[in-house]
Amino acid sequence: MDYLWLKAAHVVAVLIFTGGLFTQAIGVAAGARGGTETVDLVSRWDQRVTLPAMLAVWLTGATVASVGGLFSNHWLWMKLVFVFGLSGLHGVQSGRLRRLRAGEQIVLARGPFAASGAIAFVLAIVALLAVTKPF
Amino acid sequence: MAASITASEDLMAIRRLRLASFVEASTLLVLLMIAAPLKHVLGYAIATRIMGPVHGAAFIAYAWCVTAAVSGGGNWTRRELVRLVLAGFVPFGGFANARLLRRKQAAAAAPAGAR
Repeated sequence: MDYLWLKAAHVVAVLIFTGGLFTQAIGVAAGARGGTETVDLVSRWDQRVTLPAMLAVWLTGATVASVGGLFSNHWLWMKLVFVFGLSGLHGVQSGRLRRLRAGEQIVLARGPFAASGAIAFVLAIVALLAVTKPF
Repeated sequence: MAASITASEDLMAIRRLRLASFVEASTLLVLLMIAAPLKHVLGYAIATRIMGPVHGAAFIAYAWCVTAAVSGGGNWTRRELVRLVLAGFVPFGGFANARLLRRKQAAAAAPAGAR
């Protein structure tokens, strides 16, 4: 029962964090086009909700893996690599939002939806690994 | 106005990075110098079972702080970035960051014209 509650808490944190990641990506894209209001709103959401959710993802995820004895599974380590990448992307986008708030211009090299597309792709891999546990 | 708000945010990001760097380096030392010998010499596996996840969390926090600080401007050179990344993987690396981060913090705290 405790394990299921922990797992549910992890899923809640993941859903909020991933929603925040997409919001960040769109916020950066809007900021690159001059949307200062959007940057401000997204930054506030990021600091108050997405960042704490990311911390909760790691905390609950590590606890679930520890309680469930999952650290010996290869799929988990592969999943961790991708989640680590998503956390890194969150850090990069937080920095970009800070620069946009400072009035700097940012040019997105790969178009406004590239980051969102990459997030969706990585999330699909993470979900497949977590659900099918292939190896 | 926006510039001054962001200057204080830059300062906060570097302060956070300094703390994360110190905690990451300290937990790695405790893991290697205390927990690992306790496990392998005296058989207390609980030491690494506790310190492993603690250091893991500290490492992730450090990595996030590095990406957020460097992506937010502040004139970080590629060499400084490589140094910060490498410091996360070697014992005492986080302590070796101290001087660089103190310098960066002083630069961020200086008035815009003095930078």
